[in-house]
Amino acid sequence: MTTTASRPASTIFRRPRATEGFWSWITTTDHKKIGIMYGYAAFFFFIIGGVEALLLRLQLAGPNGDFLTAAEYNAMFTTHGVTMIFLFVMPVSAAFFNYLLPLMIGARDVAFPRMNALSWWIFIFGGLFLYSVIFFGDVVPPAGIADGQGVVVAGNIDPADQTLLGGLPDGGWFLYQPNAGPEYSPGTAIDFALIGLQILGVASLISSINFIVTVFNMRAEGMRLLRMPVFVWMTLVVAFLLLFSLPIIAVALFMATFDRSFGTLFFQATGGGDPILWQHMFWLFGHPEVYILILPAMGIVSEVLPTNSRKPLFGYAAIVFAGGAIAFLGFGVWAHHMFSSGITPVAQAAFGLSTMTIAVPTGIKIFNWMGTMWGGRLRFNTAMLFSIGFVAMFVIGGLSGVTHSIVPSDWQQTDTYYIVAHFHYVLFGGAIFGIFSGVYYWFPKITGRMLNEKLGKAHFWVQFIGFNLTFAPMHWLGLQGMVRRTWRYAPEAGLGPWNLAVTIGAFTIALGIAIFWVNWIYSKRKGEPSGLDPWDARTIEWTIPNPTPAYNYAVPPVIHSLDDFWHQKYTEDDEGRPVRKEGADELIERLDHEGRNPKSPIHMPAPSYFPFIMAMGLPLIGYGIIYHTSIIGKALLVIGPLITIGALIGWGIEPLEETEDHDEHGDGQGGELVGARTS
Amino acid sequence: MSQTAHAADHPSTKDYVRIAIFLAVLTAIEVALFYLDEAVDMNGWDGPLLVGLSTIKFIAVVGWFMHLRFEDSFLSRFFSAGFVLAMTLYGVMLAAFGAIAIFG
Amino acid sequence: MADTFELEESADIPNSHAGDHHVVHESTGIDNRKLGMWVFLSSEFLFFGAFISNYLLYGNRDFDSVVPRDIYDIPFTSISSFVLLMSSLTMVLAHHALSTGDQNGTKTWLMATALLGSVFLGGQVFEFYEFVTVKDMTLTSNPASSAFYMLTGFHGAHVGIGILMLLSLFGIARRQGGLSEKHGMNLELVGLYWHFVDIIWIVIFTIVYLLGAS
Repeated sequence: MTTTASRPASTIFRRPRATEGFWSWITTTDHKKIGIMYGYAAFFFFIIGGVEALLLRLQLAGPNGDFLTAAEYNAMFTTHGVTMIFLFVMPVSAAFFNYLLPLMIGARDVAFPRMNALSWWIFIFGGLFLYSVIFFGDVVPPAGIADGQGVVVAGNIDPADQTLLGGLPDGGWFLYQPNAGPEYSPGTAIDFALIGLQILGVASLISSINFIVTVFNMRAEGMRLLRMPVFVWMTLVVAFLLLFSLPIIAVALFMATFDRSFGTLFFQATGGGDPILWQHMFWLFGHPEVYILILPAMGIVSEVLPTNSRKPLFGYAAIVFAGGAIAFLGFGVWAHHMFSSGITPVAQAAFGLSTMTIAVPTGIKIFNWMGTMWGGRLRFNTAMLFSIGFVAMFVIGGLSGVTHSIVPSDWQQTDTYYIVAHFHYVLFGGAIFGIFSGVYYWFPKITGRMLNEKLGKAHFWVQFIGFNLTFAPMHWLGLQGMVRRTWRYAPEAGLGPWNLAVTIGAFTIALGIAIFWVNWIYSKRKGEPSGLDPWDARTIEWTIPNPTPAYNYAVPPVIHSLDDFWHQKYTEDDEGRPVRKEGADELIERLDHEGRNPKSPIHMPAPSYFPFIMAMGLPLIGYGIIYHTSIIGKALLVIGPLITIGALIGWGIEPLEETEDHDEHGDGQGGELVGARTS
Repeated sequence: MSQTAHAADHPSTKDYVRIAIFLAVLTAIEVALFYLDEAVDMNGWDGPLLVGLSTIKFIAVVGWFMHLRFEDSFLSRFFSAGFVLAMTLYGVMLAAFGAIAIFG
Repeated sequence: MADTFELEESADIPNSHAGDHHVVHESTGIDNRKLGMWVFLSSEFLFFGAFISNYLLYGNRDFDSVVPRDIYDIPFTSISSFVLLMSSLTMVLAHHALSTGDQNGTKTWLMATALLGSVFLGGQVFEFYEFVTVKDMTLTSNPASSAFYMLTGFHGAHVGIGILMLLSLFGIARRQGGLSEKHGMNLELVGLYWHFVDIIWIVIFTIVYLLGAS
C-alpha cells in the first residue's frame, strides 16, 4: 500500500525510510503513531500511579497502619499525584489530540510533524528521567531542627527509613517551599521532581504551539471555526491554557531548582525569600492546569453524547464559548488554593468571588449535555455509559468545588479529605471517565475493531461502583476531620470503618481496570471488525476507513456544515426528526472504497531521527544539574546541550524534498510518497 | 490577507534607519531623565515618563521591525493577548503582596 | 441545516487542486511557521513577566548585603542597551536585504547582528564580573541579587541562543551560496525572535535599571 520515493543522501544521517517495524516508531512523524505511543505510555504510567494509590490505601485501611513508613507514605502520595496528572491524564489527552485533531479538521497531519515527534520524545524521556529517581535519588534527613525549647531533634525521617520507596520525591505534587527546598529536603529526590516537571513542561509547550497553528491553519476547505467539532475547540482552548500557564511554572521550577542546587534565595525564608511566592507562581499555573486536565474529557463527551443520542449537540455555540470562558476565568482564580496561607481578606474575597463565576459556564455545559440527551433515541453502549457517568460524577465534583469557593467553609475543608474527594470526583469521575468513553468510542478508528461490549459494561459498572465506594466516603471523612497527607490516624478518631470501605473501593477500581486491559488485549486481535461507520456518527473522522490509512484522507474533504457527515447521510422530516437518505449506505461503501484507494500518490511528511536525538539531550542536562558538583555532572552539562543543539542544526538542514515537489508543510522536510496507484 | 500584499507597504532601508535613530534618541532622553531625576526632584514624574518612553520604543520595534503593523491583525491580537494576560496576572499577584499599594 | 453563526475571518485559501499532491494550506493566510513563532513569543511574555515581577518584589530585599540597585553602572548599561537596539536595526536590514535578493547584504547584516549581540552579551558578562568580584554581589547574596541575576541571566541566555541561530543562518548562507525561500522564512523567524529579545531588554532597562537605581 505504501511506496517510498528515493531521498537525497546529503544529510548527516541517511534519511530513515522505514514505514514498519521498530525504527519506524523511533523516527515517525505521523501524528497517529505518535498518538498511539502517547496512549500506551500514559496507560503504563496509569498502572504505576494506580499501584501507588493502592499502597496508600493499604496503609490507611485501618488505624495506626504499619504497611508503609511515614517517609514511604509521603513519597507515595507525591508520586501518585505527579504520575496521574503529568504522566497519565495529560499524555492520554495528548494521545487523543494527536490522533484525532487532523482527522477532525480534514488534514493529513499537524502543522509541524517533526516538532510533534519532538514533543512525544521529550515527554517520554522526561517521564523516565523523573522515575529514574528510583535508581539515582536519595532523601537525606534534614539537619536537626530545634524544637520549642531549643533542643535539636532528629529530622523527620529516621535513617532506618532509607528504603527504596522512601527515596522518591516526597514534597507533594505541589512541592511547597521551603519544605521541598534545600534546607528541609536535602538529597536529590526533589530535584528529580522539579527538573522532571520542567522537561515535561517543555514537551507540552511545544505541543501547544503545534496544535494552535494546526487548528487555525490546517482546516479543510469549508471547515470554518464554528463548524469544527467541540473536541477540536477543546483542543484549541487547552493549547491556549498550556501556552500561557507553562512559562509561569517553568520560571518557578527554575527558581526552586536554583535554590536547591545553586543556593539562590527565592523561597528561603531564612534568607529573605518568600515561600508564598512559590504558592502564587505554582497555582498561577496549577489552576489553569486543572482545566487542562478536564477540558479534553469535556470535548470527548461532547462527541459521544450526540452520536449516541442520535441528536445534534444542544447549544453547540454555547458549549464552545463556555469552554473558552472556563479557560479565561480559570486564569483568575488561582489563589483559592491559598485561602489559608495568609493572604489578605480582600484577596480572599476577590478570589472566592471569581471562583464562583466559573460555575456559570460549567453549568451551561452540563445543561446542554443533558439537553442533548433529552428526547434523543439513546444507545447505552459502553462509551455512552462512561459519558453519562462523566456528567453525573462531574456534577458532584463541581458541587463540592463550589463549596470550596466560600472562604470560611474552605478554611474548614482545606487539607482534609473533603478536598481529596472533590478533586477525585472531577479528575477521576470526570476526566478519567471521559477518557474511557473516548477509548471505547474511537477504538475502531485506531484498530478497525470494536471493543467487546460485555466486557466493556462489566468494566464500567465495576469501575463506577469502585470509584464511588472509594471517593464518596472521603467527603464525610474529611468533614469529620481526617487530614490529608498524613500517614496514619488514631483508632479513637473513629475513621477506621469508612477508610476500610475506601480501600475496598480502590481495589474494586483496580479490578475494573483489569477487565479493561483484558478487553483491550482481546479486542485488538479478535474484536469484531467495525466497518467504516460503526456508530452512525456525525463528524468527518468517520468518513475514512478504519483503521485510519497512513494518509488519512485520500481526497481532502470539503465541508458544508457542522456535523457534515451526518448531513450527508440524513435529512429531516417535517417534525425535525432525522430520516436516513436513500443513498446513505452506498455513500458509506463508496467512502470506504475511495478511502483505501487514492487516485494519485500522496505526500506524507518523511520520518526523521532528529526529534528523538534532540529530546535525549534534555534529561542529560537534568542529570548534569543534579550532579553538577561532580566531573560527570559537569561533562553532562556540556554534552547535553551539544546533543540538543546539534540535533536542532541537523534538523534545520535536513534537505527539502525531491526537486519536483515543493514543501507541503512549510517546514522543509522531505516527503514520502504513499498511495497504491500512480496514474 | 495574502502575504504578498504587504510588499507594497514594506518600509524601506531609509525608514528603518530613521526608526533606529528615533529609538536611539528616545534612549538618550531616558538616560537624561535618569540623571535629571538624580539632580532635581521630579515628584514621581520620572516613573510615568520613563515607562511612557520605553512603551513608545516597544511599540516601534514591534510595529515596524517586527512588522506587526503590516501583518494580519490576527497576529497583533494574539501577541497583545499574551502581553495583557501577563500584565494582569502578575499585577494581581504583586498586588496580593502589597507590592503595589492599591489594596490589601 | 445551515449554521446560525458566521465568524468574521480571513478568507480560506481554496484547497481545490485535487490531483495535485501538494497543497500549502493555510486557512488564515498566515504562514504556519510565522504564526508558530508569534504564538511562541506571546507565551514568552509570561516567562519574562514572572522574572520581572519577581525582581519588582525582591528588589529591595538586601538581607544586609549589596543589592543590585545600589551598584548599577548606568552609563555602561546605557551603551549596552544602545548596542542591542542597533542590532535590531541590522537584523531588519538583513531581512530587507534578503527580500530584495541581495544575498551578500543579507550575510553582512546577519553577521553584524551577531556581532552586536555578542558585544551586548560581552557587556553583560563584564557587568556580572564587576558585580561579583568588585562589588561582592553574587547569585546567592540576597533575594534581590538572585532575582537580578536570574532575570538578566535568562535574558542573556536568550540572546546567546539568538546569536547561535544567526551564525547558523550565516553558515547556511555561505555554504549554499545564499538563502533559499525556506531559509528566508527562517531568517524572518529568527528576526522576530531577536526583536522580541530586544523589546524585553527595553522593558528591563527601564524598570530594573533606570527606575530601580537608587
